[in-house]
Amino acid sequence: MNTRENYPRRAEQALSPLSAEAADTCARCGFCKIHCPTYPFGGGFETYSPRARLHFLRAYCQGREKLTPEWVDRLYRCTSCERCEAVCQTGIPLVRLWEDIRAESVRRGLGPMPAHKRVREMAEKFGNPYGEDPSRQTHWLTPEHTPAPEAETLLFGGCTGTYKMPGMLRTGVAVLSRLGFAFTYAGGEECCCASPLLRTGQVDAALSLIARNLDLFARRKTRLIITPCGGCSKTLKKDYPLYARRLGKPFDIQVMHFSELYVRLLREGGLKPSRPVDKTVTFHDPCHLGRSQGLFREPREILAAIPGLRLTEMPGNREASRCCGAGGGVKANYPQMAGDIARDRLREAEATGADCLVTMCPFCMGSFKQAIEESGSSIQLCGLEELLWASLE
Amino acid sequence: MNAQEEFRQVFGPAVSFDRQIMDSYDHDAGEMPRALMSLVRRRPDMVVLARSREDVARALDLARKYGLPLTPRGQATSGYGGSIPARGGIVLDLCSFNALLRLDVPNSWADVEPGIVWEELSRALAPHGLDNRVCPTSAPSSTVGGWFSMGGMGIGSFAYGSFLDNVLEIDVLAFDGTLHTLSGGDAALFYQTCGALGIVVRLRLACRAAGTPFTPAVSLPDASGVIRFLDLAGRDLPVYSACVQSAGYCELRARAEGKAPPISSGFMVSLALLGAADGGSVAALASGCGGSLLDEAVGRATWADRYYPMRLKKAGPSLLAGESVIPFDGFAGAWEDLRKTLGADGFGLEAHAVRGRRLAVLTYCLDNARDFLYPLRLAKALIPLRVAARHGGGPYASGMWLAALARSLYGKEKYRRALAFKRRTDDGDLLNPGTLEGPRLPFTPFNLSRCLLAGARIAAPVAARLTCANTRLDRRQEDRP
Repeated sequence: MNTRENYPRRAEQALSPLSAEAADTCARCGFCKIHCPTYPFGGGFETYSPRARLHFLRAYCQGREKLTPEWVDRLYRCTSCERCEAVCQTGIPLVRLWEDIRAESVRRGLGPMPAHKRVREMAEKFGNPYGEDPSRQTHWLTPEHTPAPEAETLLFGGCTGTYKMPGMLRTGVAVLSRLGFAFTYAGGEECCCASPLLRTGQVDAALSLIARNLDLFARRKTRLIITPCGGCSKTLKKDYPLYARRLGKPFDIQVMHFSELYVRLLREGGLKPSRPVDKTVTFHDPCHLGRSQGLFREPREILAAIPGLRLTEMPGNREASRCCGAGGGVKANYPQMAGDIARDRLREAEATGADCLVTMCPFCMGSFKQAIEESGSSIQLCGLEELLWASLE
Repeated sequence: MNAQEEFRQVFGPAVSFDRQIMDSYDHDAGEMPRALMSLVRRRPDMVVLARSREDVARALDLARKYGLPLTPRGQATSGYGGSIPARGGIVLDLCSFNALLRLDVPNSWADVEPGIVWEELSRALAPHGLDNRVCPTSAPSSTVGGWFSMGGMGIGSFAYGSFLDNVLEIDVLAFDGTLHTLSGGDAALFYQTCGALGIVVRLRLACRAAGTPFTPAVSLPDASGVIRFLDLAGRDLPVYSACVQSAGYCELRARAEGKAPPISSGFMVSLALLGAADGGSVAALASGCGGSLLDEAVGRATWADRYYPMRLKKAGPSLLAGESVIPFDGFAGAWEDLRKTLGADGFGLEAHAVRGRRLAVLTYCLDNARDFLYPLRLAKALIPLRVAARHGGGPYASGMWLAALARSLYGKEKYRRALAFKRRTDDGDLLNPGTLEGPRLPFTPFNLSRCLLAGARIAAPVAARLTCANTRLDRRQEDRP
C-alpha cells in the first residue's frame, strides 16, 4: 500500500526547526554507536545504533522515510542516558530528538509501547505510574521525620522513592530532620513529576500531571524543591520551566537534588559526618543526575567527607558513566534488555573490588537491586544517604 | 535451497534481509548529493555480521557460489564510498569481529581482528604498558581493519609514519577462499584497496611504550614558518605527533564551540612529545621561526580534543572536506593557492605531519547540503587535491568515488599487481566491486569515478566563485516546547 499517512506533511514537521537543523550536523562518526548501552542488544546490526536512528530521522523529516512500527520499536529502545550526546562531535541534542520523535509517534498512533500505555493509565488514574493508592504516599514517614505544615522548602518524594525504594527517601529525610532543616511535605497531593511520560513521548498526559504539580507548588508558596530522585530533579529543573510557560503558570522555584543540598550543608558546617564507616565503595553516577545536571562532584564530595570511607572508581565514571538500563521507559517495556544492561554495569562495579555499590537515585537502586538478586552478586547496594546517616553521631 | 535460505541456514540471526536494516548500510560518512548516490546501486540485498574468520570464509564461499557482490564494512567512518555496496549484494559487517588475539609485550606487538576499535585497543594495551603507535582522529569509533583498507596517516605519524609502516603481518582471505599470511611489500598490496583484493582477518601491529605526552602548542606567522618549525622540532625534540591548524580552522572550531580562537592569524602547531622536553626549548624553536609558545592550556586542550576534528561541523550544518598529502617543500606554495581559491569561504586547514616530511592535509569549508547549489559546490572539495598535485603531492585515499585515482595513489607497479591479483582470485569483480577501477555509470560504458573527476574539473572554476551556504552562524538556542 502506498500511503503517505506516516510521512511528515512537510520537512521538519516532526521536529522543531533547530532540532532538525542540529540533526543535519551529524558527522556520522559513530562515536554514539560505540557508547550506546542499548545498541549491543540489536543483534549487532548498525540499525539499532543512535547513528542509524539519526540517519532515519533525517530521511523521515525530509519525507523520504516512513515511520513504521519497527522503527518506532527501535526508537523506544533507548534509555535516554545521554551518553550519545556526551560524545557527539557536533553536540547534537540527541535525547531531545529521540523524545521529539517518540512524541511524533504517539501523535500518529504508533507509539508508545504497550507498557508505556499502562504507565499512562496508572498515572492518569492514581497520579503515579505504579498504580499505587495515593493515600499511601506518606507510608514511608517515621516519627523522627519532622515535616513542617508550612515552609518555603518542599520535599518532592518522587514515585519510585516513595513507593518502590522508600529506604533512600526515609534515610535521606532523616538526615535533614536530624539537622533541623525546615521543609514541608505534600504527602497525598504530590503527583508524578511526569518524567516517564515525557521520556516516552506522551506529552499531553504529562502536561496534565505537570499542571497539577505546578498548582500544588503555587498553593504551598514553594521557593525551593528538594528531591532524592535523579529523574525528578532533572524533570523539575529542565522541563518544568518550559512547560510552565506553555501552560501559562508560574514556576520561579529553585530545584535541588539531595546531593546538592547535602553539599551545601556540609560546606556551611551544619552537616558533620564524624563516625567512621569502614567500607570500600564504588559510585554509580545516575545518568539523569550526572550527564543531565552535571552533578558529578557533589556525590564525591559527600563520600569524601565520610571518615573511613574509601572510594574506588569504575572505569566508566562521571561523564563516561554507563547506564543502569532503567531509564527512558526501557525497564518497563524491555525488561530483559534493562536487566542485561544493569548486570553489565554490576560486573563493572564488582571488578573494582568494592564492598558496596553506592548511588543516589531510587530508579538506579531499583535496577541494581533486581540485578543483584538475579545474578547472586555478593556486592552490597546502598544509597549514599544511608552511608551519610551511618556517619552521623 | 535458494541463496536467501542458505544464508539463513548458515548465519541464523547474524544475517538480515530487512529493508530497513539494509538502509543503514547504504552510505558511509560522506555527505553526497542524492542525485550522485542514485548513480550507484547502494542498498545491499543482505547484511551478514561476521564474528570470526570462519564467518568471513563462509560468506565468501556463498558469495562465490551465488555470484553475489560482497562489500566488507567496518564502522564506515570514511567518506570515499569504500564501504558502499555499489552493486548491492552482501554487506559483510566486521564490527563484531573485534578481539585482541595475542600480545607480545617484550617485542611490542599485538595481533588483532579487523573490527577492533582503535581507542578500545589502546585501553586493552594500557595495562601492559603499551599503546598504539599511530591512530586516526576517528579512533573512538573507527576500526583497525577499516583504516588498513582505506589507508591512513594521523596521530603519531610524525614519529611512526603511515599505518602501513606499523603493520608487521596480515592474514587475508581472498575471494577465491585462499588464506594468505603476508608481510612487507606483499602486505602492502592489500593496503588502501578497500578490501577489493581480500578481507583482512588478522593484523599484527607494532606498538609503542605507553606514556603521557607533553603537549605544547605554538603560533607561527606563515606556512614557511610552519615547515621550518616542524623540521627543527623533528631534529631537536622527541616529537610523537604534530598537528597543524590554520587560523581559519581555529576560527571555525571556536565558532562551533562558542569559544575564542587560540590564534587570529597564521597557524597553530600542536605537538605531542614523548621524552625529555620542556616549554622553554619549544618556545626557543618557535621564536626562531617567527612564532611563539602558546599558553599551556591551549596545547592541553588541543591534545584532549584530538579526536574531535569534525566539531566544526556544528557551525555548518555540512562540510566540504578535501583531503590530500603534500610534501613539506610544497606546503607554502599549496597554501597560497588554497588561499586564492577558497579564501572567500573562510576555509580551515588541519594537517598531521608524517614521517618523511609529508603532511596529510584536510581542508574544510562549511556549507549546507540542503542548498540546491550544493552539488555544484561539491567540486570545491576536489580543489585541494589538484592544488596538492601541483605542489608535488597527491591523493590521500581513493575508495569508490575517487577510484580513478587508485593508480596514482598506489603507484604503477602496485596497481598492476593489484589488478593481476584481482583477476586471478575474483575475475567477476564481486569483492567490493568498483573500488579498484571505479563503478560504471549506469546504462553507459563510462567509468563513474572518471566522470566525477572530469565533471569536478570542469565545474571547479564556477564552484570556486560560489560562496558556501553556511546557515548556522547564529546558533541561538530555542526553548522547548
